[in-house]
Amino acid sequence: MKRGTAITISLIVGILFAVFFIYPAGMIVKQAFEGVRADGSRTFTLDFVATVFRNPIYQEGLWNAFLVGIGSTLATLAIAFPLALIGHRYDFFAKPALGVLVLAPMILPPFVGAVGVKQMLGVNGAFNSLLIDLGMMSSMHPYDWLANGRFTGMVLMNALHLYPILYMNIAAALANLDPAMEQAAENLGCPPWKRFFRITLPLAMPGVFAGASIVFIWAFTELGVPLVFDFARIAPVQIFDGLKGLDKNPIPYALTAILLVVAAGVFALSKLVMGRSPLGTAPRPKGRSSALRIGGWKSAGCSLFFLTVFLIAAIPHLGVLLLSVTGRWYGTVLPDELTLRHYHEALGNSLVVPSIQNSLMYAGCATLLALVIGLCVAWVVVRSDLKSRGLLDSVVMLPLAVPGLVMAFGYLALSQEGKAFHFLVGADGSPFLLIVVAYAFRRMPYIVRSAVAGLQQSNPTLEEAAKSLGATSFRTLRRVSIPLIGANLAAGSILAFAFAMLEVSDSLILAQQAQHYPITKAIYTLLSTLGNGTELAAALGVWAMVFLSVAIMGAAILGGKRGGLFKV
Amino acid sequence: MRTRTSIIFGLLVIIIALPIALRRQTATTTANKADDTLVILSPHNESIRQEFGEAFAAHWKKNSGRSLYIDWRTPGGTSEIRMVLDASFKAADETRRNGIGVDLFFGGGEPDFASQAKKGRLLPLSVFGSHPEWFANDGVIPETFTGERYYPTDHVWVGTCMSQFGICYSPDVLKRLQIPRPKTWNDLGDPRYAGAIALADPTKSGSVARAFELLVQSEMQQNLMKSNTDRAEAMGAGWEAGLQLIQRMAANARYFTDSASKIPQDIGQGNAAAGMCIDFYGRSFADELKSTSGESRVVWIAPVGGTTLSGDPIAVLKGAPHEAIAQAFVEFCLSIEAQTLWFGKPGTPKGPKARALHRTPIRRDTYTAENLANSTMPLADPYHDPANFTYQRELTGASFNTLRQLVKIMCIDSHDELKSAWDAIRKAGMPPDALAVFTDVSRVSYNKAGKGDPVLDGPDALKAADRATELGEWFRANYRKAEAIARAKSQSATHP
Repeated sequence: MKRGTAITISLIVGILFAVFFIYPAGMIVKQAFEGVRADGSRTFTLDFVATVFRNPIYQEGLWNAFLVGIGSTLATLAIAFPLALIGHRYDFFAKPALGVLVLAPMILPPFVGAVGVKQMLGVNGAFNSLLIDLGMMSSMHPYDWLANGRFTGMVLMNALHLYPILYMNIAAALANLDPAMEQAAENLGCPPWKRFFRITLPLAMPGVFAGASIVFIWAFTELGVPLVFDFARIAPVQIFDGLKGLDKNPIPYALTAILLVVAAGVFALSKLVMGRSPLGTAPRPKGRSSALRIGGWKSAGCSLFFLTVFLIAAIPHLGVLLLSVTGRWYGTVLPDELTLRHYHEALGNSLVVPSIQNSLMYAGCATLLALVIGLCVAWVVVRSDLKSRGLLDSVVMLPLAVPGLVMAFGYLALSQEGKAFHFLVGADGSPFLLIVVAYAFRRMPYIVRSAVAGLQQSNPTLEEAAKSLGATSFRTLRRVSIPLIGANLAAGSILAFAFAMLEVSDSLILAQQAQHYPITKAIYTLLSTLGNGTELAAALGVWAMVFLSVAIMGAAILGGKRGGLFKV
Repeated sequence: MRTRTSIIFGLLVIIIALPIALRRQTATTTANKADDTLVILSPHNESIRQEFGEAFAAHWKKNSGRSLYIDWRTPGGTSEIRMVLDASFKAADETRRNGIGVDLFFGGGEPDFASQAKKGRLLPLSVFGSHPEWFANDGVIPETFTGERYYPTDHVWVGTCMSQFGICYSPDVLKRLQIPRPKTWNDLGDPRYAGAIALADPTKSGSVARAFELLVQSEMQQNLMKSNTDRAEAMGAGWEAGLQLIQRMAANARYFTDSASKIPQDIGQGNAAAGMCIDFYGRSFADELKSTSGESRVVWIAPVGGTTLSGDPIAVLKGAPHEAIAQAFVEFCLSIEAQTLWFGKPGTPKGPKARALHRTPIRRDTYTAENLANSTMPLADPYHDPANFTYQRELTGASFNTLRQLVKIMCIDSHDELKSAWDAIRKAGMPPDALAVFTDVSRVSYNKAGKGDPVLDGPDALKAADRATELGEWFRANYRKAEAIARAKSQSATHP
């Protein structure tokens, strides 16, 4: 890549990031560094950060968040790698359907997900009812699953929610592998396990790193899962509680700043250790590795493994689904009464249709914007020799670690009349541009990581060859580079789109008028209906899950054709 | 491939067509066609918004001949609304605008409105001029009741209905745990409730903070009623007993939440035995979760001698773009027509259209035999309830902020140590020496904190944070010590 182009792209992306991420987030987080002098003037101080480190409760909160992050990443890897590897190597019974099903856990609708978990795993939940029915538990002493072993519970729930991120990235990395490498090792008598550790894993490392870095930052800053387990001594919950608290204490902002530094630090450090394949980039394989068709118990075993992972990961989803059709459900395995009236009422609400249109527009445009900027960032990070590219890569990851409320209130403050971002608000108060920008920057890490992993695996000599044959940079990008990393871009875009559709904080705070609500705010509004609010929210949540599942299936078919990500 | 793509496309069309086919159009959701607009910022639930929105739009049409679109702004609960108001008014001040484009703030607690009033963000309400008889000495809306203020002297906000914090419980879980049904806050400190109590979070809501203040005050008032006690001594002992009750309740608690619906939801599902719950959520869940036999899975009660009836206010915001309509909305909310919406049965002539709101009207003259017969609360008579408790601001008002901080420091931040010590103490058979250490609140006695802790409640955030750290460490050290004593007792009992 030409140095001048790299500098230009870096500058443009850097400015965009400074304006649309660092400025709004900094506006809020700066309160952590503002002291007040006796005369009322403000001064820079690190005292609040120091206070956080002096308070054992916050120290423990940070440490717990870090442990949950590490534990969740390892557990996610333990689920995702075997799935991706088996999917890559073998053709087994119902593989196309199972390959898409295992992606389902990432589309749990907000607000009702926790209720779904409690319906299944609560003291009076479906699981305990099953054990009581089977005579394995006393009805007088039901076990409280959510109150005991909370750390393990959080790690498991994170892993079961987040493994699709890692699975998609590893699957994309494996799709790009040159089968000749593995075949050569096999021909030279290398046993399967050694082949895996010496050839397959190192070659897939960019994909592993891409997924694992996102999973770590996600789990490290995750708020919803600790709240399900009522686990309050963890930094993200402490920040959330502090932000919403009546006291104007800057401690939550200081904690946010620390969280950001730790997330960026861990990312940069792990990138040094495992970010790049030690084997370098390989030439693009001439043919795809054909998966081995297996039958009998081996095929059944693989199918069972996929199915088991899906079923366990889909427990909360099943809870939400059953809740949406529940007339009465209390202390039994399945609801006593089934009804479709919640669907009729929820989907018939006048908020719903506009919210679907809005969400599709917001998430679709945000994904496109994130794709363009994310691809540029990935290009500079992988193909240039700029010294600042590592810094750019780390900064682009930070939106994942900033609490949703911080970003949302940063945007809200700046979009007021007379403020810098007011131009993003439409004439009728439409927050379209504001939400697209907010969604795009928050979801960009998925695309950047996928694209970086793809570019690291694809060989630059192919691009150089195109250029030497007279192709322009744009033509090279369009005809050579993008098709080579199609699977990765599809994976990143699917994640970015799905998570943008389910975004909470920006949606609640920035979409102020009913005609601009996205689906998540419509779910939130239904939730506050007296009486059957939870069931109504669950019904719309299920609609969103089904819509996203089908949309992902469509993308998977396209991705499968273009990039070999899903062999559907 | 083509077939698969067609199937997927067909499925997507069906999925999207479903809500389009089921769509219902309501009167107040079409912005472009309306002659007038009213912008309301509100934490009220969807049911209240819908009923009041449609009723006022019809009222406005009848009186002015103009159609109205109500633009409800609902960023979340009172925490989010406070943050939105702060961010918006800060920007408005910086750009020298008079208002924030919002007309009304509708719903919340008295502390929320008092705090906005203090910042000069509320306009005087014209209803006090147009209907002075409502607010006269023997008027239908008293200035204060049960010690709670229903409107301030400068008339910048007014309560439209009343709310009451109470206890919500699950008869099934209580039966399983073999605990009698609770009647007072004190009952929730019973160690048999360990791990089965759900508490509201006083750090995020002024109304919840007030409920905790009442809990302490109820102990103080009980002590003051005892004869032959020195007043100062009685107040000190009551304060201490109140804090210790909060400690015990917190030790029994699964969590502290700022979600109003989470507590009755968990109790209704049997995930918790009892908890602190605002009246209308409790009544609404009790109504929704009734079995065919008429017995509900959730019961809500007002604890005897421990809760007041606070006003749920409305205010017109400074710089309201549609001030005249906003003032008319306030007046409408206080009319009998709107008051009966709060507690009417759905479908009755004066009741709500779709859902019961289960709320207590603020106007005394709403409680007529006819209205009560058509209400969801036929026995309600809040202005003549002998069990009412009167809040005495002079006892704990000065420590309102400090009390909230103390709950955070000694219970929320230290919850792990608190629960662990309580568990050990329960298992050891409640040994008095361990309990004495566990319930030691001498560092925050009434003498020291009863009029507000100058550092915790002071302007220096850094000093306040350090004081919180220091107090927190002291409480956690006590809990660890109490746990060690209790464990030693248990061990000596098993291995004498």
